[in-house]
Amino acid sequence: MSYLEEDLKAALRRVEAPPDFTARVLERLAAPEAPKRNWWAELALLLRPPRLQWVALSVIAGTVIPIAGIHEREQRRMEGEMAKQQLVYAVRLAGSKLHHVQKKVFEISQTDRHL
Amino acid sequence: MQQGTIDHVQEGLGTAAEGGIPDFAEIVRAHQGMIFSLAYHFLRDRGLAEEMAQEVFLELHRHLGSLESSAHLVFWLRKVASRKCIDQNRRRSFWPKFRLDEIPEPEAKTRETDTLLSGALGKLVASLPEKPRMVVVLRYQEDLDPAEISELLDMPVATVKSHLRRSLDILRDKLARTVGEIAL
Repeated sequence: MSYLEEDLKAALRRVEAPPDFTARVLERLAAPEAPKRNWWAELALLLRPPRLQWVALSVIAGTVIPIAGIHEREQRRMEGEMAKQQLVYAVRLAGSKLHHVQKKVFEISQTDRHL
Repeated sequence: MQQGTIDHVQEGLGTAAEGGIPDFAEIVRAHQGMIFSLAYHFLRDRGLAEEMAQEVFLELHRHLGSLESSAHLVFWLRKVASRKCIDQNRRRSFWPKFRLDEIPEPEAKTRETDTLLSGALGKLVASLPEKPRMVVVLRYQEDLDPAEISELLDMPVATVKSHLRRSLDILRDKLARTVGEIAL
């Protein structure tokens, strides 16, 4: 056996369990078991009148809030798209105006040269 | 375990299976060290190890009727403890991993540094992946041979041997980096 294996044996030797370990196990054993959950009964209980309102409210909130969120996001996307189109149009317009001005300047300079 | 204790536990198995809690207490006392140590060396957390060990004994109480002998009892306890430790580790994916830089540097490079070395090794073992870690713990804590470990963990003997070999290589390498040139 190598030194490492000897060291591992020493490092992994058994340690004492806490002194009151057995007592705690027996305590847990003696404690009454938690009753098993009946999912159908709990669901039926949820649908009784006083709780039904809350269930309905939760369902409505759970549906309406995400839909409103999606609508809002779509609205913003469309506004952004429109702004982008306007910007592109403005840039094109400015470009054509600039081109027109350059053309005029060129014509004037040609006329001056002939004179 | 001594012969007297084994006889006592064997007697206890009979009556504990019928629901006799005092005899069950005797069984718990006889094996709590083994199960608590397995859980502690695997999880490196005393609180969690105690909870795990308690769970193992509670499950033992439910299955006492199906156990036939002391050897069967020990096998069953080790098997259930190993499975529960691995399951627990998987559930807690955020379980903190020990990093090499968290391990204290030993003061000297001699073999007198056993306590520090053991602490560092324990943490390095805890940093191994689940199955190799459990193989190493069973091999060096319980002194089980690869065939026994393979039976406990439901894996081929060759896999157990491979896990052991690779784990030793990893540990040797990490330990050398951690404590310097200790003669391995």
